[in-house]
This record gives sequence, C-alpha cells and structure tokens, in this order.
Amino acid sequence: MQPTKGPCVTCQYKCAPVCPKRLASRRWRWLWDRRMKEGVFNNSSTSISQARKAVEQLKMEACMDRVKVSQAAADLLAYCEAHMREDPLIIPVPASENPFREKKFFCTIL
Amino acid sequence: MDQTFLVNVFGSCDKCFKKRALRPVFKKSQQLSYCSTCAEIMATDGLHENETLASLKSEAETLKGKLEEERAKLHDVELHQVAERVEALGQFVMKTRRTLKGHGNKVLCMDWCKDKRRIVSSSQDGKVIVWDSFTTNKEHAVTMPCTWVMACAYAPSGCAIACGGLDNKCSVYPLTFDKNENMAAKKKSVAMHTNYLSACSFTNSDMQILTASGDGTCALWDVESGQLLQSFHGHGADVLCLDLAPSETGNTFVSGGCDKKAMVWDMRSGQCVQAFETHESDVNSVRYYPSGDAFASGSDDATCRLYDLRADREVAIYSKESIIFGASSVDFSLSGRLLFAGYNDYTINVWDVLKGSRVSILFGHENRVSTLRVSPDGTAFCSGSWDHTLRVWA
Repeated sequence: MQPTKGPCVTCQYKCAPVCPKRLASRRWRWLWDRRMKEGVFNNSSTSISQARKAVEQLKMEACMDRVKVSQAAADLLAYCEAHMREDPLIIPVPASENPFREKKFFCTIL
Repeated sequence: MDQTFLVNVFGSCDKCFKKRALRPVFKKSQQLSYCSTCAEIMATDGLHENETLASLKSEAETLKGKLEEERAKLHDVELHQVAERVEALGQFVMKTRRTLKGHGNKVLCMDWCKDKRRIVSSSQDGKVIVWDSFTTNKEHAVTMPCTWVMACAYAPSGCAIACGGLDNKCSVYPLTFDKNENMAAKKKSVAMHTNYLSACSFTNSDMQILTASGDGTCALWDVESGQLLQSFHGHGADVLCLDLAPSETGNTFVSGGCDKKAMVWDMRSGQCVQAFETHESDVNSVRYYPSGDAFASGSDDATCRLYDLRADREVAIYSKESIIFGASSVDFSLSGRLLFAGYNDYTINVWDVLKGSRVSILFGHENRVSTLRVSPDGTAFCSGSWDHTLRVWA
C-alpha cells in the first residue's frame, strides 16, 4: 500500500504525507528517503498475501462474459437517442418551464 | 494491513508470548492474535511449494497479459465510428444562472436533493450549507468540528445530510426546520475509517451509507446502528470517489483512487467485479452513465475516459492537447449525451460523449472547479470551486 495522499494539513496540495513544500527542506527530504529505503510502508507478509489476492482476482476477472465493442456502443447510442428528447440541456425547454432560466422573482412582498 | 477498523490491541502474542501490538490472524477459521513478527513468519510458512513472491508476481503478469488479449479480441470498432451516423449537436448557450455565495473557504463537495431544488455543499472551513438553488437562500448551516469537509451527500428522502472529511468519520445530520433546535446536537456518527473520508453517498434509502476513504477502502454502513455491513478492499492507495449504479435493483458501485484504478464492486459480496487501469494518474471522479452500462472517470492526467462494463474496456478518451490540467469531477446529462467535466484550470468542458469531441467550454470560476453535479431532472448543473462560490448553470 502506497503512502496516503490526502491533503497536507498545512497547505492545500493533495500530496504525500510530507508535502512538496516540506520536502524542499533538506532535513525532511533526508528523513523521507530513509523511511522509504527502510520500507516502512512495505511489509513482506502483506506483499505475499497481496500478490496471492491479486492472482485470485485476475483469475476471477478472466472468467467474465464480454460483449463486442460494436454491440456495447450500439446499446449506448440507442439509450442516448431514446432519451435525448427529454434532456433539458440538449433540447432546451421553454424559459417559462425552466425554473433557472425564467426571470421570476422569488422575493416575498412584506 | 489497512482495515477499515484497525483495533489496536496490546497484549501477549499467542505464539511467542511477548508483549507486543497484536494483529488478528485466522488459522483454520480460528482467530488468534499474533504480534507482527510472528504474523510475518506465519505468512511465509503459508507459501505453497514452488510458490515464491516472484512466481506469484509473474503469474499475475501473465494473467494480466491474457486478460488484455481477451479484451483486445472484442475491440472491433471505436465508439466515435459507430456514432458517426448520429447528428451533431448544435451550439450550446449555457450561462451561470445562480451564484451561491456564502462559504468562507474553498468549496470541496456538493450534492443535489431529489426535489431538484436544494443543494448541500461543504467547504474547507468546516461549514456545510444547505441552499435553495431557486432563491439562493441558505436554509441550514452546520459547522463541523474538523476542517476540509471533503464529502457531503443528501439523503434520498431529503430529511438528512451526511458529511465528513479529515475527522475520518461520516456524520449524519437530520434536517429540521425548527429554529430552536441545534442541528449539531442531533448529529449521528456513522462511519469510522482510519484515514480521511473522501466520498460518501446514501444508497437507495436513508438507512445505508457508502463511504470511501484515504485508507484505501470503501465501506457500507447502517445509519441507525452505525454498524459496518460490508467493506471493500482492493485499492492500493487512497480511494477518492465513488458512484452507485443507477438502477433500483443495481447492487454495484464504482470507485476510483490514487492507484490509477477504477474498480467496480458487488455490494453484497464485497468482491471487486471489474478493474480498469488505463489512466496515467489519480482518478478523481467517477460517474455512471444513466443506463448503468458504462461509467466515465476524470483524472489528474487531464483526460476523462468512458469505460463500458459489458465490453470490459475503455471505449472513449476525452482529451485535447490544450488541456493540461487535471479533471476534478465529471457528470453526465440526463440522456448521457453530454459529459460535463470541471478542471483545475478553472474551466468546465462539455464533451459529446458519443463523438468524443468537445462541445463547449464554460468560463466563470476564479479558481479550480472541485465538484460538479447535474440536477436530478437534468435542467441544470451546479459546480463548486475553490473560489468559495457555487454556480448553477442552465
């Protein structure tokens, strides 16, 4: 499992636990490289079970029934054409029926 | 290993009897507690003859190769070739119809209510606001105890909202119109992860919530009891997004993560049904096609891709050389003909799903677009951005 990539708590970048800003400092970079080399994030027992799980998963996926792309594409097209008329963003409904386009004022008179 | 609920038990190991931090280990369906050293020895003992890590990895590679061959055999035509007979779309005029101002910091997530009118949005300052998109009034506001509220969702009934972020939890707030009641008092903590919550969504009812987290797992929870119903392990890095299959009877959902994979899961068994790994960077957002047979994904590699579930492969890529910033969120229009994608270069690109071409580019936000959802009836879509505002386009 790779190190997490959540947002750095001190800045806004979606990054490794130590963000690029901190890595610019040499001490942080040294600490980070050392931890990566020690393989703190890699555990041999979990690697074996992970590898086994990956093989099982691939075997399961191999048994799937697949359809030709032409068939799948034709179905996507059919669905699209059947529903395009009802799509207000493609065939715009008259402004009076679209609550966002009409120029109605929603304020109440006090 | 990353479990959704990692209980730190400290005590004497069942094998070496030393006082260490213990991990649960299953031996012939009996649960024992081993320290990490003994667990590792156990795992290497468990290797069958002629099985080493290297042989398992090479077997995985050959299986992957075979899978690619099988998929390639069915690749007889491209989607845009089949779509040539469909007439092109006309010019689009989409403008900002409403601007929702009120957040004090970056808007991170938003969701529509089934009544096609209300919107819930969450931001970096910890505030979750429920808006009326017709009038732009704020109906409810909750302050979360954490910053970076990265996920929020509206319940199908419209009576509750769920949100979470750096607090590693998903909390459900029932919405009440009683001015004397403090919404925060009725808060219910539903999910517990070991890392930040990146996405959450109610299933077809108010009673179950599906969550995705930075700890690499997704989980299905019961809202009333807070109990974990099913957990989904398989991503090798943070899970960033998820989307439920649209049909009423659908029991699958798709998730995308930092390991560049998009995986389709069966909610009942917890198994991964299909996995797609063609993106070159983190998958930021996934959304099902309205028919449920395909899904689109947006990624940091500046492309959006359409994957068909029955053909089990990627069928279209939506990219342009001029687009170099990642796509943070995608959504389909009602018919599935249009794909709206919000990018980190402050724009929203509208793609023709079938022909693979860009139909329109929308400007308006002053910072990156972080979230985008089409309303349930398809009349408008709303985008939230790091410029503290939400815009409703129609």
